[in-house]
Amino acid sequence: MLPIVHRFAAIALLVAAPAWAAPYVPSEDAAVLERLPTRRGDPAMAELRRLRAALAAAPTNSDTATRLAQAYFDLANAEGDPRYVGYASAALKPWESSDDAPAEVLFTRGLLKQYRHDFAAALKDFAGAIEREPGHIGAHAWRAAIFMVQADYRAAERECAALTEIASELMSTGCIAYVEATTGKTRAAYQRLAAALERRPNASAETRLWTLTRLAEMAWRLGDAALAQRHFDEALKLGVTDNFLLAAYADFLLEQGRPKDVVTLLQDWVRSDTLLLRLAIAEQALKLPGARGHSQALAERFAAAGLRGERLHMGEEARFLLDVKGDARAALAVAAENWKEQREPRDALIVLEAAIAARDPKAAEPVLKWLDETRFEGGRLRRAAAALR
Amino acid sequence: MRALLLAALLAAGSAHAHKPSDSYLTLFADGHSVRGQWDIALRDLEYAVGLDADGDGAITWGELKAKHAEIDAYALARLALRADGAACELQPAEHLVDEHSDGAYAVLRFAARCPAESFKAVAVEYSLFFDLDPTHRGLLRVERNGDTTTGILSPERPSLEVSAEGRSRLHQFADYVREGVWHIWIGFDHILFLVSLLLPSVFILANNQWAPANRFRDTFWDVFKVATSFTVAHSITLSLAALSVITLPSRLVESTIALSVVLAALNNIWPLVHGRRWAVAFGFGLIHGFGFASVLADLGLPRDALLLALVGFNVGVELGQLAIIAAFLPLAFALRDRWIYRRVVFVGGSAAIALVAALWLVERALDVKLY
Repeated sequence: MLPIVHRFAAIALLVAAPAWAAPYVPSEDAAVLERLPTRRGDPAMAELRRLRAALAAAPTNSDTATRLAQAYFDLANAEGDPRYVGYASAALKPWESSDDAPAEVLFTRGLLKQYRHDFAAALKDFAGAIEREPGHIGAHAWRAAIFMVQADYRAAERECAALTEIASELMSTGCIAYVEATTGKTRAAYQRLAAALERRPNASAETRLWTLTRLAEMAWRLGDAALAQRHFDEALKLGVTDNFLLAAYADFLLEQGRPKDVVTLLQDWVRSDTLLLRLAIAEQALKLPGARGHSQALAERFAAAGLRGERLHMGEEARFLLDVKGDARAALAVAAENWKEQREPRDALIVLEAAIAARDPKAAEPVLKWLDETRFEGGRLRRAAAALR
Repeated sequence: MRALLLAALLAAGSAHAHKPSDSYLTLFADGHSVRGQWDIALRDLEYAVGLDADGDGAITWGELKAKHAEIDAYALARLALRADGAACELQPAEHLVDEHSDGAYAVLRFAARCPAESFKAVAVEYSLFFDLDPTHRGLLRVERNGDTTTGILSPERPSLEVSAEGRSRLHQFADYVREGVWHIWIGFDHILFLVSLLLPSVFILANNQWAPANRFRDTFWDVFKVATSFTVAHSITLSLAALSVITLPSRLVESTIALSVVLAALNNIWPLVHGRRWAVAFGFGLIHGFGFASVLADLGLPRDALLLALVGFNVGVELGQLAIIAAFLPLAFALRDRWIYRRVVFVGGSAAIALVAALWLVERALDVKLY
């Protein structure tokens, strides 16, 4: 039976094959083929060009190299484009495999490695940076972040403690609150972080954005949707382009049963895989005509990433398979694989929901164990766990 | 840097919002010549050679055209092909544009002039963008007469050697025969249709009642007519569809195939047609041919060996069909006047086939999944 059903699906896909199946010659010179994310006149671009020229003149100047690499890294996060991380790696080429590089070089190299999810190598570079420069704030902050991804909360707490000595109050509080909110102390974490933000009314827009996004997530986790909404609104009003904020807010809206608002929020964000996924889920819920095309575009992007032999998107891919494709078995397999590397609440949720849909509670056991150990508070995760037990 | 530090706690482990840089390099080799097609992202070319001449953030076809010579020089200097060790000269042929999942790509087609008349292997040495972006990958595909090899070129592994000799025509033909056999075997809808038509072959219809046939010769000719009509009909439409002369929506085709199975099975329980079952086999055989064609399309038809693929696949389907008949016919004939054949196999089997096919019909016509 199965081959026929599958064949049927394969045929349906073939019929809907995209128009780009064949290369073409555009009919007129004025045809726009590609829109670049940045214009040449942007001041940020001018600064990058200046740094590139300086580095070309002195390729082993570690100060110029790290500044250029970090500028590209920031751009990669803002635009959601990993190409810039590639450019950053090129700037650090002279120190590619040297263990006795300056602290800032090791730190920056670690940044780029964690971006490619090579967490073990990144932790090693950060440790090297701290060894050379014990008060290196960035290295401690990123180590905390990686330990959180790996669900090593004790180690994350140690990094937060180190930050209290050297970083701003808002930052170290943010670090501690982040750990607390994942380990069953969400209310205390919320109050601590909200108070710290109040004491710093002139914090930078980026800092406020981060803090407000976290506060919104904590309020949401505590079941206070109105409060979460207020924090998301405040964060959005800052006018800073941020992939992570938009993704978190879209997840919130989807869970609140407001797919229409997701479509309004994300319709211009199809270039970003993470946001396109949320858009496709919302469009599917609303049965909009755009859902089909967007879902196909996502399938193509996951396939294209697979061609590189890399699977850095597994959490997203599992969510796509479950919510858009309705293939619970495949979603569960990818989600379980992802859980081996990444153990944040969203990674846990997709395992549980895929296990429910696939009627395979056994596959969810490692996540249920994690949930017991952390005593994580979050309505959706708790409900999913209850359904499996 | 401030933003960066706090972003740490937000960003670590997040999925990339976008795909890293890749180029798609396809080589077509047949043991005597090599052609290539290279799809390179405009984003990458902008960074490497600069395309946006007027700096407005949009790359037009005119701007790309103006840079074609520069792109050819830049890209082809970073790719070397060697046929059995001797360097080939790369000559740009055509410039096109294509859309991939992450944006527009310049498509550079080129010919490789290799010194040897014929060669066994091609070595690919690739270094495009590795200096600018060490995370760039060259995704290599080598096509040789219906046989494909893929590979990933990276700074850690910038060269690959692949066989340049395609599979022989005989091998390719055998591949398609095998596919044909395989698809009649896993294509339950085709098998059930054929079986439904064959079940009554060991009977004759008298007074609207089935009675065992007396002579094997009559049964044999009946089966021969049914099987031949089915074969002729689906060969016609398989060819027409494979050559894109006629195309039908797959939902219609698949639904009609399911319907044909339902009708053929019901005809055994409430006989309407007997002597002219070959005509039924022919009529619905036309539709089954479209079903086979979609399978063939999924396999990917080699443009240079279309006829070979078509004939091979068809031969395979017939062989598979013959095997089913050869297993079925003697057994059915031997059992034709036993109760087990008449009631269980013939009536019970036909009813079961009709039920299963009716489920398919609903699934396919309404595009739903019932089980």
